[in-house]
Amino acid sequence: MERTIAWSLYTAAFVIAAIVFIAGVYVGTLLDKSDIQVLSREVESLSQDLTTMQLLFLIDDNSSAFCPLYESELSSIEEKREKLGYELTFLEEKRKIDAPELKKQYFILEAQSYFLSKKLKESCNDKTALVLYFYSNKNCTDCGRQGVDILSARDALAAQNIKIRIYSFDGEIGSQVAEGFVRQFAVSQYPTTVINGNVHSGYISKDELIAELLK
Amino acid sequence: MELIDILNYSVAFFTIYTTVFFLLLFFKYKKDYYVTPKWSGARPLVSIVIPAYNEEKYIKKCLDSILALDYPREKLDVIVVDDGSTDRTAVVAKEYEKYGVRVFSKRNAGKGAALNYGIERARGEFIATMDADSYVTPKVIKALLPYFEDHEVMAVTPAVKIAPSNSAIREFQRIEYLMILFSRKLLSYLDSVPVTPGPFSIFRASVFKEVGGFDEHNLVEDQEIAMRIQQHNYKIRSSVSDDSTVYTEPPDNIGDLLRQRVRWQRGGIRNYWKYRFMIKPEFGNYGMFFIPLNFATLSAFFIVLGLLLNAIFNNPFYTRYILLESMVLSFNMFTVIGVVVLLMSFVWLYAAVSSFKSERIKLRYILLFMIFYWYLMVCYNVLMAVAEIRREKTSW
Repeated sequence: MERTIAWSLYTAAFVIAAIVFIAGVYVGTLLDKSDIQVLSREVESLSQDLTTMQLLFLIDDNSSAFCPLYESELSSIEEKREKLGYELTFLEEKRKIDAPELKKQYFILEAQSYFLSKKLKESCNDKTALVLYFYSNKNCTDCGRQGVDILSARDALAAQNIKIRIYSFDGEIGSQVAEGFVRQFAVSQYPTTVINGNVHSGYISKDELIAELLK
Repeated sequence: MELIDILNYSVAFFTIYTTVFFLLLFFKYKKDYYVTPKWSGARPLVSIVIPAYNEEKYIKKCLDSILALDYPREKLDVIVVDDGSTDRTAVVAKEYEKYGVRVFSKRNAGKGAALNYGIERARGEFIATMDADSYVTPKVIKALLPYFEDHEVMAVTPAVKIAPSNSAIREFQRIEYLMILFSRKLLSYLDSVPVTPGPFSIFRASVFKEVGGFDEHNLVEDQEIAMRIQQHNYKIRSSVSDDSTVYTEPPDNIGDLLRQRVRWQRGGIRNYWKYRFMIKPEFGNYGMFFIPLNFATLSAFFIVLGLLLNAIFNNPFYTRYILLESMVLSFNMFTVIGVVVLLMSFVWLYAAVSSFKSERIKLRYILLFMIFYWYLMVCYNVLMAVAEIRREKTSW
């Protein structure tokens, strides 16, 4: 028999498949935008919480009577802030959605939160350890495992009722806040970890982190 | 764009393309779907070769259905090849010798060898192969023979079905058989029928002289012979009419079912590999679409499996702190395309099942089939088949 190739059918299928595929891509981009909007709203809400907290501190600058309230308020804000940080990282790493402006806004909130925690430590004798973690998404081979080790160390110490707050900053994203911290702590390489004011350049293992945090 | 994205996009497009292609094929030929040619000549002699190995349970029903065929008795040449059965198959078959059935007994050498043994002794101008665990409906020969009016047609396949039952596993297989039948019919419009099933495919006797008999060492000899007929550029036609129905007994427990499907899959992979040389324009749709489609589907399966495992197990460490949120945030373009593909697969399946007006299948069975049988079965079969092929290679 004379064999043929059904070109017209293959072409028609290609055109329809391309239309369906492009429609899928379009809906996908709408989903990306909607996710960014959701996170933007979370950033706004967190910003309001932090501003309120700052005002509270201003009202009762030197009083320790309100310390339990501040501690509980800040814990709740920190929880929100941390979750938002993970969500932003998830969008960036897993969904490949770049939202640099949102990330910069987040770093501002993170810095605000860091200063409030520092203030709480000073005013209310809070024992929570503060960790600043500087990383880069561009030129850093150890940043991935450093992030994991910091979280593991925090989880390990949490079992011993030792509280740790972590503030992560991408030093190369062009955020003025992050760059300010980089200058303050003279960060020259990534990863760099600052534990209660002590700077550790380069990768530092989970055990070393725990030892440093227990000091 | 990273490799993982390219794989994601490629598989998504491939899946949409294939589904759209088959739906278009269906809509294009929908009107011709049930049209069968008319037979104008005299009734030719038809040999029916029944290889049987330990089939005492089913062979009586099979032979009774053959004797009840709506076809002149003197034009039928029924041959039973007892392939060294250890049960009473030969005894039961010999009871039909008084009706002209010829029964031969030989040492066990497999189905392909038994078929060739019977074909060598067949006298008919046309030869039907028949599985002993199947039974025919009376008009099947009259429904299939007219396709041979076209002298390039060398084989015609019947509508192999499973009789309705109350067992879920049988109902799932019933849907699966209808889906296979639907696909085979559509592929016949592309001259790409991939298999001449054991239960009552009819061959022009001369084809065995031209292309040779069944491959006696093949796991799916009914597929291999079809591929050889395709290689010789002959036509194979497929009937879906109710008159061409042949019922077959499916495995009724999950163990036998899985073993059967892994065997089909393993044999299938080997056969496509054997006939990969047909990927050439001179073999038309069969060479340029159907055979590559099988390799592409197998590759896509492993890519999807890899992507799925990567999505499940390669989540960043911190996702354990945002489990629910990460699930919501995971909805992306591929989720959308995945849902589209899933819906299109359902449309395809529904079109397949509902194209058989006489087959009534409950919608819930179709849905359950899709969710619990189809994907899981394909997954298991392919993985086991590939594992077995790898083991064979190691042992060689």
